[in-house]
Amino acid sequence: MQIENRKSKIENKMSMSLQNPVAEKVVAAVIPAAVLDNLAARFRPGGLCLLMLNCDGSLAYSDSAAGLFFQRFAIPMIQYPDPSAGLAERVAAMNPQSAVEVWSAMPGVVLAAFPYVEKRQLCGVMLLAAKGNSFRLGEEVLRVCSRLGLDGIWLNQQAEELPVYGDEAIQRQARLLLGMIRDQVRLAGLECELDSLSGQLANTYEELSLIYQLSSGMKINRRAVDFFKQACLDVMDVMGVRGMGVALQNASDQIEPVMYGSMSLPPGKVHRLADELLTVLTGRKSPLLVNNLPADKTFAWLGDYAKQLIAVPLQRQDQVLGCLFGIDKHVGEFDSVDSKLLNSIGNESAIYLENVKLFEDVHGLMMGLLHSLTSAVDAKDAYTCGHSERVALLSRHLAREIKLCEHDIERIYMAGLLHDVGKIGVPEAVLQKTGKLTPEEFEQMKKHPEIGARILSDIRQVKDIIPGVMHHHERYDGKGYPSGLAGENIPLMGRIICLADCFDAMTSNRTYRKALPLEVALTEIRRCSGTQFDPRLAEAFLGAGGEQFRELLRDYEQQTRRLSDLQQSLRPAAA
Amino acid sequence: MTEKTILVADDESHILHVVSLKLRNAGFRVLTARDGQEALEMAQQAHPDLLITDYHMPQLSGLELCQRLKQDTQTSNIPAIMLTARGYHLEPHDTEQSGILRMLSKPFSPRHLLSTVNEVLEGKAA
Repeated sequence: MQIENRKSKIENKMSMSLQNPVAEKVVAAVIPAAVLDNLAARFRPGGLCLLMLNCDGSLAYSDSAAGLFFQRFAIPMIQYPDPSAGLAERVAAMNPQSAVEVWSAMPGVVLAAFPYVEKRQLCGVMLLAAKGNSFRLGEEVLRVCSRLGLDGIWLNQQAEELPVYGDEAIQRQARLLLGMIRDQVRLAGLECELDSLSGQLANTYEELSLIYQLSSGMKINRRAVDFFKQACLDVMDVMGVRGMGVALQNASDQIEPVMYGSMSLPPGKVHRLADELLTVLTGRKSPLLVNNLPADKTFAWLGDYAKQLIAVPLQRQDQVLGCLFGIDKHVGEFDSVDSKLLNSIGNESAIYLENVKLFEDVHGLMMGLLHSLTSAVDAKDAYTCGHSERVALLSRHLAREIKLCEHDIERIYMAGLLHDVGKIGVPEAVLQKTGKLTPEEFEQMKKHPEIGARILSDIRQVKDIIPGVMHHHERYDGKGYPSGLAGENIPLMGRIICLADCFDAMTSNRTYRKALPLEVALTEIRRCSGTQFDPRLAEAFLGAGGEQFRELLRDYEQQTRRLSDLQQSLRPAAA
Repeated sequence: MTEKTILVADDESHILHVVSLKLRNAGFRVLTARDGQEALEMAQQAHPDLLITDYHMPQLSGLELCQRLKQDTQTSNIPAIMLTARGYHLEPHDTEQSGILRMLSKPFSPRHLLSTVNEVLEGKAA
């Protein structure tokens, strides 16, 4: 009873004395407290207490779950050491190369110490504390007790169950701890490295998915301006910038410099920026990063609108085709990750740009050749002048009416353009004959679809339109030529061109008759629906209103007339 | 707000690393599994708030995993985001039988994944 009373009194006193600022500080050195707690737990059962000191000797860490012997006696003694124990001197004498040392100058406690080193710098001192073999309730221990406000008998009780460590035993434990710390540090380093690699990998993923997204948008028939708009918006999102823009060399025949995003720059300034960037990038051929615009020689003027600028050239071989640029990051500055990302996008875009240009060149060349070819055919027969072009336009319109896809519509236009190309192989005498054809002449005339198909069969790019050329004189009831196909067996292209061909033939002047009035032509189409023409197409044609087609052709005629007038007016000037 | 737990299942460790780093940095608790079977057991034990799973995995495919979780009343309310190879499409009827709310094709943007995760957790994807 008495003892218990005294004990509680002591503990009260103790807790009061421990109102002192006890070490709850985060370790100054780089070991996370959680790691130290883990290590401390490994040594606690062996009656050892883990501590760490900063380089100035102050307590950086102590095992907060250690027994009362350590909490009340050993730790405070280390935390507020008696100068005679020389703890400060020993800490000061530590250097990164120091081996495990045993410090036994403190009464009743034995310490094993070794330096904690990071990057060859001393970052602190690790300590293992245990009850030393010098522990007895002698004068020295009692003196410490009174200094710390402890009851000696109570302390003796706390110490009783603790194992005693000799110098060698505690040194062994300290070496064990040293090994564990090295492992932990290495592990923490590896984890850190793993996180950094994962972070880089995440950036690469970001880049990859962006490039994937862009590549899938690289449709050759897509307008470059749409492609770049999407690219700018995507990059803006991934890179986190206020504005993204693009500028191309020779803007006149491509697209104007343009900027997207929340960043508003007057149009004149966008042009100025584009010109200056193109000049700078044509010279350096590598990404440009400016994180302090007002201080930049070339772009200081932009400092009124923005703080940061990044730009990469779009280049193929040595030629700079244009540039992509970004303005103001939402967070932080432009760095090498950004320039690498934007450079990849720039390279992809340059390839796309080059492909579009090549495609346009080749496509333009081919269409030019095809037009020359049809003009040559039409020229053989003055009365059918412009017929091929009109059939092509009518076919395209009809294809649109029946909601074919854009690709098919364009192929049908081309088929319409070339449908009579086989007439090259028909004698002019037959083509230009004003009277009725003899059966032999008609046989010659009937060969033109096949001749046309044969001429085109050598051109890979137009193979898919051959059915349209081959079968534009088939009839829905099967009585046409050259194959006598009927109904849906006639390729759709052939059925469409057939209708367009007949309509144009009826509504234009021919060698043997004047053009029929529109109403007559439409009535004729209605009459022949299901016999000569596919009824579904005839219906669409009539439904769309022949008037629409007439308008289409009138527009075309006006255009050609204007063109020929222009040519006429130029001729005398040239002569 | 309590910390949400997300279970990530993929047999490609680099995906696990990238995804868990991204999610941890965003303040989620992340559990990882390297195959469908392991993921199933972890989901049954830990009841995550969300599952992110690859489609192609050894033992148990991502789809089977989601279907199994859906069948068990204990885990049937766990929403899922499925990662698939690019160009791979699941039938709508397959996803009906599972908790799959979103699909992302690889290579996916980690930022996009994070915003998808937030949408699903806020219930916008339901």
